Amino acid sequence: MAADTSGRLDGRDDAGVYAVLGLADPTRLLRGVAGVAGFLGLWYLVSLTQPAYVLPSPAAVGVRFLEELAAGTMTAALASSVRHWLPGTVVGTGLGVGAGVAFAWSVTLDDVTAPLVRTLRPVPPLALIGFAIAWFGINDAGAAFIIAVGAFWINFYAAYGAVEGVSEDLLDVGRTLGVRGDLDMIRSVVLPAALPGITTGIRTGLGRCWMLVVAAEIFGVPGVGREILRASNNLLVDKVIAYILVLSLMYLLVDVAFRSAQRRVLVWQA
Amino acid sequence: MAGVSDDSGVVVDRVGKTYDGDGDPVRALDDVSFSVEGGEFVCLVGPSGCGKTTLFRVIAGLADATDGEVRLDGTPVTGPTTDMGVVFQEYHLFPWLTVEENVGFGLERSDRSADERAARVDEMLDLVGLGEFRGSYPKSLSGGMKQRVAIARALAVDPDLLLMDEPFGAVDAQTREMLQRELLDVWASTGKTVLFVTHDVAEAVTLADRIVVMAAEPGRVREVVDVDVDRPRERGDPAFGERVARVRELIGARP
Repeated sequence: MAADTSGRLDGRDDAGVYAVLGLADPTRLLRGVAGVAGFLGLWYLVSLTQPAYVLPSPAAVGVRFLEELAAGTMTAALASSVRHWLPGTVVGTGLGVGAGVAFAWSVTLDDVTAPLVRTLRPVPPLALIGFAIAWFGINDAGAAFIIAVGAFWINFYAAYGAVEGVSEDLLDVGRTLGVRGDLDMIRSVVLPAALPGITTGIRTGLGRCWMLVVAAEIFGVPGVGREILRASNNLLVDKVIAYILVLSLMYLLVDVAFRSAQRRVLVWQA
Repeated sequence: MAGVSDDSGVVVDRVGKTYDGDGDPVRALDDVSFSVEGGEFVCLVGPSGCGKTTLFRVIAGLADATDGEVRLDGTPVTGPTTDMGVVFQEYHLFPWLTVEENVGFGLERSDRSADERAARVDEMLDLVGLGEFRGSYPKSLSGGMKQRVAIARALAVDPDLLLMDEPFGAVDAQTREMLQRELLDVWASTGKTVLFVTHDVAEAVTLADRIVVMAAEPGRVREVVDVDVDRPRERGDPAFGERVARVRELIGARP
């Protein structure tokens, strides 16, 4: 389900929230519905041959989804995950964009930090769980830290690349029109020119951070990820899928919202 | 001409530029001297590789000369200055700004009030005839329109010199002739000093009071040709053809 929607979202770039959801073009909509129906049908047929702890039927997942929702456990888990996702994403994105822009712009900063960046980059956020626990404890802040690390690198590289790609000619034009000093140049030429790349990074990061929610809650902080891990351990596959659906829906919601905001900000690109 | 000192206009005084590449250093410009009087229209032509663009960048303050100096109204140029309006071949409009925001970009750094800035933008848009496109983004403009915006943007800060590097090189022939006529109108109505780099000899003869012809390897001034033909100039006019032939001969001739 998640793969289905993300492929669709990345594909086409023509206008509006409706287009993002595939609602603008009736043929596309119909095909999309057919795809989902076909997938559910296949899933149902396979599930008939398997016990529920291997593959529950789509109906069983739907029932479980509604039960969890009605009991309030799903909303509680989601609220908790949002408390990890939101600050983690905001802090990681802010620091990542800031560092990416600064290091790409300043040769000195870049030289100083390059070895450090190359050493730290391959470290997966999950490997930092020990630090999360040691520095923040088994709490929301610890989980948010894991998510922030993930958001940081995505945004760092996106912003770095975007600033590196700013045309030298635009900088020259800026200079001839009276732009003086690094801050003025960054504010009036570099950032606007790099904005398409930076916002693409932010968008990628927003999605990746929902995936990281599972990893971030692995050490016992409550949330959607925690529910998925706990249900997996108990072989409650219908519950696992129900909570995966929650992550997919959140991803979809945030992505559609961000994409329409991005369009408004980058109206000059249209 | 070396060592000429005149308070109004541009003086290029024994400018040399050497690039230290891998291996042998490359002498891109050697002892280049000429001047552009205040209010004069001078074109700079030469074969490819004669250092036109290097010289343009040195004059604009975007590159340093190895030897000599450039003076604008008597003051040595040590870096980019808003006393010069610079127009590049590929327009280089800021794609995230509308036409009027592009034109107003340099004004935001001047000490003019918001009202004065708005009035100046209106004036510039009128000058290049783009008033109705003021809210458009560059992406939706044709090449000729983009270059008009670039000229308006360069002129908005009221520079003493308009410095242009093959500004009409990227548009079709028809648009180029129209832009040339418009540029002459702008020049006549503003009285700016113009230094215009081009590789198109006919364009230089159409526009210039004088043509600085450069030679290559190393880039240097071969000769300065007076174009004492009344404007508007017709390409069919024998006097026009003579000047074109003369400049072509200078470009083609080996020293």
